[in-house]
Amino acid sequence: MTTNREMSLASTKTTLSLPDFHRRKRQCGALAALTLLLGVLQFQPFVSTALAESAKVQKDLGAERWSIQVERVDPGDVALEPSFEAAIYENLLEELAKTEQFKQLLRTGDRNASDVSKLFILKTTVQKYTPGSETRRAVTTVNGATKLNVRIQLVTRGGQVVLEKVVDGNVRFIGGNLRATHSLAHNVAVILKRSTLPAQADRVPEQESGKGSN
Amino acid sequence: MNPNPVLSKQTPVTSLQVGHGLACLTLLVLLCASSAGQTQNEAVGAVPGSAIHATHVLGFEGARHNDAGDLKIQGDAVQFQRNGSPTVQVSLSSIQDISVEDEDKQVGGRTMTLGKTAVPYGGGRLVSLFAHKKYDILTLEYLDNSNGLHGAIFQLSKGQGQTFKKDLVARGARISSPDDRATPQSTPEVKHDNK
Repeated sequence: MTTNREMSLASTKTTLSLPDFHRRKRQCGALAALTLLLGVLQFQPFVSTALAESAKVQKDLGAERWSIQVERVDPGDVALEPSFEAAIYENLLEELAKTEQFKQLLRTGDRNASDVSKLFILKTTVQKYTPGSETRRAVTTVNGATKLNVRIQLVTRGGQVVLEKVVDGNVRFIGGNLRATHSLAHNVAVILKRSTLPAQADRVPEQESGKGSN
Repeated sequence: MNPNPVLSKQTPVTSLQVGHGLACLTLLVLLCASSAGQTQNEAVGAVPGSAIHATHVLGFEGARHNDAGDLKIQGDAVQFQRNGSPTVQVSLSSIQDISVEDEDKQVGGRTMTLGKTAVPYGGGRLVSLFAHKKYDILTLEYLDNSNGLHGAIFQLSKGQGQTFKKDLVARGARISSPDDRATPQSTPEVKHDNK
């Protein structure tokens, strides 16, 4: 009898302690969620501030992009046809536009150049020109290539040379002679794209002495 | 063991190949001849001041590369119009320099080049030897509204370039030097195409 009574009391105690345990567990869970929520809410202003700052930096960097003015081609001592001069100039403008590296592309003599603060001037001087023949190329395959060799200089408005390279442009097999100018302009655009331009006008590096031919 | 049957099998195949080659060659030569004849007629029929057929190579603002169309002087402007496309024009006063050169080019374009590659026994090279034609390359340097320099290149039939240049100069277009810059043949370095 006593044993039965004790057992019934124990069972009663057990049945009472289980809901209590669950209730406490639920309370703890709610408290943890609340703490987490408060924590997140506390950090949210910091996160948004950081994101805004990052966006602002990116915007500033975008605003700091350089513009470029392409000067007309200087034939130097080479007797280059006017069509080649014009084709190099126009192809340079097209290829540089494709790279989207520069904020603004300006032509020689463009009045808007005076309003641009960060402006590079691209100077192109022809060093060597080998006139070819499309017919000779078509007949012999190995002969009649049109070859162009130019020196490009990227100069700031103050006259500091940022980049100096020697670039080639050829047409060896299929295509007209003017295709050499397209090849040349493409090579120039690739070189400028790969080069690291200074962030500020006053931090212009020393002139590159090594002339990398492409 | 008798070689005669083998020979009798090879001969038709070889003759067939030669036949194919000859057929390709004849077709290409005919194409070249017709193309050359057509353009010669165009060159002869060109009247000074009227619209001339030209191919815009590059640089004329608003026109697409390698577009064929009509080039003409209308009022105080040079106009280029491709069939069905709006006219693009540049005023004569904005022209800074005009030059004409001659250039030797292969006729037929990319299709012809591929066709020549397909001709067996190097027959394509033989076709290339005859499938070329002289053109006039007209270069116009002009300024846009912002004073930016443009260089436009047009390909005209032989003989039309000088006529068009004279027309432009007569109507007030400027040239940088009075002597013709379009005679580079005198110097061997500048000679563009010596076949």
